[in-house]
Amino acid sequence: MMSEINTEVNEEINVENIKKELSQLKNKKTSQMSLVWRRFKSNKLALTGFIFVALVIFVAIFAPVLTPYEPFATNPSNRLMAPSRAHWLGTDAMGRDVLTRLFYGARIALQIGVLIILFEGFIGILMGVLSGFFGGIIDSIVMRLVDILRSFPVIILAMAIAGIMGQGLYNVVIALGIVGWTTYARMVRSKILSIKEADYIEAGYSIGESTFSIITKYIIPNAIPTAIVMISIMMPTALIASATLSFLGLGVQPPTPSWGSMVAAGRDYLLQAPWISTSAGFFIMFTVLGFNFIGDGLRDALDPTTKH
Amino acid sequence: MTIKNHLVKRIILTLITAIGVTIIAFLILHLTPGDPARIMLGSYASEENLEAVRAKYNLDKPLHTQYLVWMKNILSGDLGTSIRYNRSVGSLLGDRIGKTLLLTLSGLIFSVFFGVLFGILAALKRNSWLDYLATVQAMFWISMPSFWLGILLLFIFGLKLNLVPISGTGWTALILPALTLGLRQEAWFARPMRAEMLEVLNQEYIRAAKAKGLKYYVVVTKHALRNALIPIITMLALRLPWIIGGSIVIEVVFSWGGMGTLLVNSVLARDYPVVQAILLIISIAVVIANLLADMVYSWVDPRIRMEG
Repeated sequence: MMSEINTEVNEEINVENIKKELSQLKNKKTSQMSLVWRRFKSNKLALTGFIFVALVIFVAIFAPVLTPYEPFATNPSNRLMAPSRAHWLGTDAMGRDVLTRLFYGARIALQIGVLIILFEGFIGILMGVLSGFFGGIIDSIVMRLVDILRSFPVIILAMAIAGIMGQGLYNVVIALGIVGWTTYARMVRSKILSIKEADYIEAGYSIGESTFSIITKYIIPNAIPTAIVMISIMMPTALIASATLSFLGLGVQPPTPSWGSMVAAGRDYLLQAPWISTSAGFFIMFTVLGFNFIGDGLRDALDPTTKH
Repeated sequence: MTIKNHLVKRIILTLITAIGVTIIAFLILHLTPGDPARIMLGSYASEENLEAVRAKYNLDKPLHTQYLVWMKNILSGDLGTSIRYNRSVGSLLGDRIGKTLLLTLSGLIFSVFFGVLFGILAALKRNSWLDYLATVQAMFWISMPSFWLGILLLFIFGLKLNLVPISGTGWTALILPALTLGLRQEAWFARPMRAEMLEVLNQEYIRAAKAKGLKYYVVVTKHALRNALIPIITMLALRLPWIIGGSIVIEVVFSWGGMGTLLVNSVLARDYPVVQAILLIISIAVVIANLLADMVYSWVDPRIRMEG
């Protein structure tokens, strides 16, 4: 009788301890996040990237205020005008102000980028969690599918899909997302596999938490840093790939101002009006560079051991 | 696991992936609801022509029958007939595959050579201006869309300086496309190479070799480099789809006249037999390259052989 009571008390104490440890773990995470933020802030390149991206977001939002011209307003008498005080980056073959179209193009680029990230990120993280957590047959099927899709160069499969489904913003998102999710799935899966081995998961089970609550309370929060790094890595890929589709005539269609199709349009006037292609490409590079700097900084900040 | 078991397992997985790849290439045409015959011929096609296409591709049969017939044809060497050129896809590709291979291989050699070189230099002169330069240049190339980099090089070296021909065949015409492809891909080899080299240089056996009084360059080339190069094999296989995808896009910029140009035109013209065949060939090449990389990897690194 005595021993029975003892074990019960012991168990209770254990459960209390574990709960305390788990809540400490949460506190530790917040301090970890502030540490990550401090490391990120002290990284000059990351900060530069942050400013680049902020600038692009700024011109995307305030495009109508920043320029007196309309992105679609053609003016045949103004065609292929060199950069001047009135048109800082000149005009295109239809007499439209290039800078204006580039500002509005930022809207399209960011919109597509974010949609691709959301689409492929959602599928990829879900697949990665399922595959990593449940293992077995689910894992085998998902990983085979990943292998199969990754055997295709992203841009080629996306070209074929966009070609079949027809051009347009949402089809670009789908075409690129269908391959893109595999990167998230792989990264998230391997992260989950390492988290699964952690003591706090076992602790969670031992105090009787359900699988669902284990996934939502411990696994997903711990996989978030990986996911953030993933997103910052995937954003440049999404931007370049969608611009490439536009350049090839398979993405967002003119007259919608997309940077990729502007590079393509300017290609025919490279000698007469080099500013069209060069400035549109520069905007792509500027934005991608910004995200790459951020991604690099985040990776170093979240995992300082990989730094050099 | 012995090396034999490991290989058998790898080969089986490769076969599964290869079959999956054929299914995806086949299903591309059936992605959107609607009549594939109409997708191929366009909305103005006559009922007669539609019937002919349906009969030719067995589009009236169930999907799995269509797939099996398609596969049977492919295995017997019949890749189908191009709708646009009314020629066998095999002969169309035969004319162009050599040019694509030439461009891809040139870009690959360029990127690996300079990537490895920059990686080694950055690691040896760690934290020097050279190291910094290697990192920054890698970041720049990665952030540039290849089509824009191609146009810039074309504009500067072809149109302005007249140093190289802007199109055509021959070795001089290969310089700019190969440079465009190589520069963008080089960055992907430089950074892992640097990290790997730094790690290897810290190993016991390198210190032992130095302690033995071996000359510095012998230590670097004979001991460090050989081991640091091993992961580059995996990187090579991983990057292959991107390099092929890159060369497809770059072909369009330089009117290279290989498979890439054909693919883009076929997608735009909805010439799906050609699109499917190119998807299939490229992805199968990637699958085989992955298997080869794995075999080479386990052959050069005995540690992998033991672990399986």
